[in-house]
Amino acid sequence: MNKEMLQKTANQIRKDIVTAVYSAKSGHPGGSLSAADVMTYLYFEEMNVDPKNPDKADRDRFVLSKGHNAPALYSCLAEKGYFPVEDLKTLRHTGSYLQGHPDMKHIPGVDMTSGSLGQGISAAVGMALSAKLFNEDYRVFTLLGDGEIQEGQVWEAAMFAGAKKLDNLIVIVDNNGLQIDGKIDDVCSPYPIIDKFAAFNFKVIAVEDGNDFDQLDKAFNEARLTDGQPVAIVMKTVKGKGVSFMEDQAGWHGKAPNDDEYKQAMEELEKAGEA
Amino acid sequence: MIGELMDPRKTFGKAVTEIAKENKDVVVFSADSGKSSGFGDFIDQFPERYFECGIMEQGAVGMAAGMATAGKIPVFCAIAPFVTCRPYEMVRNDMGYMKQNVKLVGRNCGITYSDLGVTHQSLDDFGLMRLIPGMTILAPQDPVEIEEACKAMIEYEGPVYMRIGNPKIPVLFERKPFVIGKGDIIQDGEDVTIITTGSCTKDVIEANEILKEAGIKAKIIGLPTVLPLDEDLIRDAAAETKKVVTVEEHYINGGMGSMVTELLSDMDGVTVKRLGIPNIYATTSSNYQELLAYYDLDAKGIAKSVKAYLGK
Ligand SMILES: Cc1ncc(C[n+]2csc(CCOP(=O)(O)OP(=O)(O)O)c2C)c(N)n1
Ligand SMILES: [Mg+2]
Repeated sequence: MNKEMLQKTANQIRKDIVTAVYSAKSGHPGGSLSAADVMTYLYFEEMNVDPKNPDKADRDRFVLSKGHNAPALYSCLAEKGYFPVEDLKTLRHTGSYLQGHPDMKHIPGVDMTSGSLGQGISAAVGMALSAKLFNEDYRVFTLLGDGEIQEGQVWEAAMFAGAKKLDNLIVIVDNNGLQIDGKIDDVCSPYPIIDKFAAFNFKVIAVEDGNDFDQLDKAFNEARLTDGQPVAIVMKTVKGKGVSFMEDQAGWHGKAPNDDEYKQAMEELEKAGEA
Repeated sequence: MIGELMDPRKTFGKAVTEIAKENKDVVVFSADSGKSSGFGDFIDQFPERYFECGIMEQGAVGMAAGMATAGKIPVFCAIAPFVTCRPYEMVRNDMGYMKQNVKLVGRNCGITYSDLGVTHQSLDDFGLMRLIPGMTILAPQDPVEIEEACKAMIEYEGPVYMRIGNPKIPVLFERKPFVIGKGDIIQDGEDVTIITTGSCTKDVIEANEILKEAGIKAKIIGLPTVLPLDEDLIRDAAAETKKVVTVEEHYINGGMGSMVTELLSDMDGVTVKRLGIPNIYATTSSNYQELLAYYDLDAKGIAKSVKAYLGK
């Protein structure tokens, strides 16, 4: 996909995210919106996946370690064709297969169940290890929150991946600067994130603006060429990106828009889509 | 009988803040869970006694235990599975085995996080915590009892796990001092003993109205403490009614119902019917009330199950 198509797709995914959370009357728009671009890039440009054959053995894997971004994942999967886009409106409803957090047993295209922070990256490491063991050439991508990396389990996984030189593993950190109780550096600073992953023997690629497709493109191309060590893409993003009143607001971490807010959000995204 | 609705989390946070004004040893630990645990006022009033760890529940339990060795009284509250399942070994060793004076509080317990999915529901916390020797488990049933339970929990020296919900709950009882390990007879009756705990008590009280209409006289026992069980109260009631029903927002295996069944297993002619969530990964719903109804844990469902058990 060219840049313009990626932007259009990401914009549609943002609308889907906001609509899903609005119809659920709960959920996590903030982190879903900050990660909408990188997830669009993964599903529509980078990963070898086939919605007609979600379980094909040689597919690239994606583990949403920050499972609360389920609205973003479901929107990508729906737009990619894994299931009907209409179903997004059943998010968190009684009887719907689209639960509040991703469930690999019930949702086509979900490679790993998540929701308890810190656990996804270990599963991703296991998948990457399996590919190495069986000489398979798929790659494993996992997306973590910058608050999530406070969990000790993240660094156990990182130590192992570095020690075992898992160059088929790409860890992406969505550095939107916020978590539930406020700014990550006020809560308990995980900085310097770049130096930490470097110290764990990762090749670290810093992205100044993770909501910019040119920069994402450059980063993932560099990641593809990396040999002999796992990759960490640490990208600065804006939480709530694309909806003015949600941008950079911790209060929009896990809250649904009301009727008026929904209308405004959709108008803004509509406009952005036309530009 | 059923009164004003109050937010359990805010009630809890305010109660701890009040106590902390008098008791300077009280400190609060948070794992990115402070404001949502009702600690907004505490953070404003006692910033130096508030420790925001970030998302590291295992570490937070360990650090709280360490601080307790030096005489402080740490209170650590977050989403229930993340303070029980996630750091279980730290709770067992550092709080249980080391007998440290840490107060662990699981909020949004049971299926109250109805729409967040299985990872966020907590249906095994009684089961996990009861296996830790020396642990105390509290499950207050209304907002006033939450306030009193906070006082009792902080006065008591030793590890405590307290469980609270999320949706607003009504005031059910007159205020009285909370005595750890004591249950109450909410209503006397001879046909069946219904034992309830936590947020289920409201629905049991409502179910009782339906049972009364059917001519069933239930003895209702409320258990704001699950561990240690009020053994005398429960055994006396069972001896009288022979038939016992337990009601909890927890797996029917391993929780309060299991504890009661074990307690009564040597009593001739006594049978126990356990109501709760079957031992499966619970389904989810956008609506907590709908989910309670789905599992027959609302007033109607409880009344239906009790009637069926009594063959009426
Ligand atoms: C083990 C665990 N602890 C706590 C939570 C509750 N929780 C959900 S999201 C969140 C904050 C996450 O912040 P961050 O990782 O920065 O995510 P983002 O900003 O990308 O949304 C917390 C504490 C959880 N899901 N899992
Ligand atoms: Mg963040």
